[in-house]
Amino acid sequence: MIKPEAIRQDFPIFVHHPTLAYLDNAATTQKPESVIEGIADFYRKENANIHRGVYPLAAAATEKYEKVRHIVAEFIGASSFKSIVYSSGTTASINLVVQSFLEKRLNSGDEVLISAMEHHANLIPWQMLCKKKDARLIIIPVDKNGEIDMMAFKDRLSSRTKMLALTHISNTLGSINPIEEIIELAHQRAIPVLIDGAQSVAHYPIDVSALDCDFFVFSAHKCFGPTGVGILYGKEEHLREMEPVVFGGDMIREVSYENSSFTTYPQRFEAGTTNIAGIVGLGYAIEYLQKYNKAEILQYLTQLSEYAHQELESVDGLEIIGKAGAKSAILSFAFENIHPHDVATFLGTENIAVRAGHHCTQPLMDFFNIPGTSRASFTFYNTFEEVDRMVKVLKEMKQFLS
Amino acid sequence: MNDKLKQLYKDVILKHNNEPYHYAKKESAKHVLEAYNPLCGDKFKVFLEMEEGKIQSIHFHGYGCAISKASTSVMVKALENQDIEAAQSLCKEFLFSLQHKMKEGDALREDFEAFAAAKEFPGRMKCASLSWDEMIGFLNEFK
Repeated sequence: MIKPEAIRQDFPIFVHHPTLAYLDNAATTQKPESVIEGIADFYRKENANIHRGVYPLAAAATEKYEKVRHIVAEFIGASSFKSIVYSSGTTASINLVVQSFLEKRLNSGDEVLISAMEHHANLIPWQMLCKKKDARLIIIPVDKNGEIDMMAFKDRLSSRTKMLALTHISNTLGSINPIEEIIELAHQRAIPVLIDGAQSVAHYPIDVSALDCDFFVFSAHKCFGPTGVGILYGKEEHLREMEPVVFGGDMIREVSYENSSFTTYPQRFEAGTTNIAGIVGLGYAIEYLQKYNKAEILQYLTQLSEYAHQELESVDGLEIIGKAGAKSAILSFAFENIHPHDVATFLGTENIAVRAGHHCTQPLMDFFNIPGTSRASFTFYNTFEEVDRMVKVLKEMKQFLS
Repeated sequence: MNDKLKQLYKDVILKHNNEPYHYAKKESAKHVLEAYNPLCGDKFKVFLEMEEGKIQSIHFHGYGCAISKASTSVMVKALENQDIEAAQSLCKEFLFSLQHKMKEGDALREDFEAFAAAKEFPGRMKCASLSWDEMIGFLNEFK
C-alpha cells in the first residue's frame, strides 16, 4: 500500500515547505533525498571525468556512469544497454532522432505523422525538418474528450508516411494513448515510431521491447531525477546507421587535421563532457522508484485522480478539459471567465502549486478554443487532503471573483 | 482569504476586468499595437488614432488574465486625449510604481494603486506591465 505521508519523508523539499501542496509533477517532480545526496556524494567522493583517465578514480567514475545505462535498460525493458543514449532531456532526444535518423530518409512530398496533442518539443523539430525538406507534417486529430481519433489516424497512414511521433500520455489532457495498437498499425506499413514517454515513465510500466517502438524518449527530472538529463532509447538497427550530429570530444575513433572517424553508438551521440553527476543521479532516481511497486503506485494515483475529478466537478463554473476514457493523474480545468493565471495566483497564496497556461501545447488549446488551463498533476506523495485544500480555495476564489 | 490577494484583486481590477473601458476591435485604426506575452499567451491589441500630437482615440481588445486586462483598460482610460508627453509620463509613473516601493507622501493615481500590489506576486508583474511596455515603446518612437 502506498502511504503518501511516509513517501513525503523521502523528499527534503517538504521539510523546508511543510505545507506545500505540490501539484505540478507533470512539469517536474521533486527529488528524493537519495538522489540529492547521491549527486552530492558523487561530487564529494567520486568526481572525475569519464572515458579518459586511467587512474582509479576516473575508472570508478566511468564504471558508475556506464552502469546507469544498464539500470535504464532494465527499467524500460530494453534488451541491450547499447540502445541507451544519454541526452540533456526529452527535447534533445527528439531533436537527435529528427536530425540523425529522419533527415536523410525524408524527401520532398513525404509525410511525418504526429498527434494534435503533442508537446511543442514533439512538434517543432518535425515541423522544421518538414519545411526544410518540403515534406508535410500531418496531424492526427483528437476528439472533444481528448482521445486520438483512431479512424482518422488509420486514414492518414500512407506510403508517403516516413515517421510517426506520438506522446504516450498528454501533458495537458492526461489522455493515455493506445500506443500498442498505434505502433502495430504503423509497423504494418514499416513506419518507424517514436514514443514520447516524458509523462509516462515515472508511473507506468514501460517495456520498449514488448511495445516494439523504434525510439522511446524521456527526461530524468520528470521521474524524480535531476534536470538536464534525458534518455533516447533506439533500436540498435537504427542507432547503428545513425550519424552523429554534434561533434567534439569523447565521440571519436581517430582524428587528424584532415579527417575524423567516430566511435560506435551510443557514445558517438554523446560529444563533450555530459552531465555525469546528473546521469548518476538518474540511476539513483530509478533505484528509488524501484523500491515501490508500480502497480501499487498506479492504483493509488487512480484513486487520487478519481477523487480529484469528483471534487473539482463540484466547483461552480469549472470545466474539466480532457475526458479521455484512459487518463493519468493529470487534470486540466478551466473557468469560463477566470483566467488560469488568476487561478494559479489564488492557489499559490495558499501554497498550492499548479501550472497555468498553454502547457507548451498551443495548437491543442486552439482546438479546445481556450487560451490555457490550470493543471493539477499528481504523484505518489500527494494526498487526498491536498485535493480538498485546492477545491476549497477554488470555491472561495469563484465566490470572490463573481 | 489572504489580505495581499484582496489588495491585488480589489475593486479597480475587478471592475476593469468585468467592464473594460473602450473594449472594441478597431482593426482599421491607423496604429495597432500588439502586447503579447508568449510565455502565458496573453495578447491584447491596442488601437490608436493620433491627431496633432494627441491620442485622439484609443481602444483595446484581446485576451489575458484579470490583471493584464484591467491594466490595459486602465491604460486606455488614462491615455485617452493625452498629448504624447503627458502620455509618456503617465506610462513612466505606472511602470515606476510597479518597480519601486512607494514612500510615504508619494502620490499615486488611485487607479494605478492596485497594480502596485503585483510586486508581491512573483510572475504577475509582467501581467500588469504588458500593455504599458508596448505603449511606451510606441510613444517613444512616434514622430
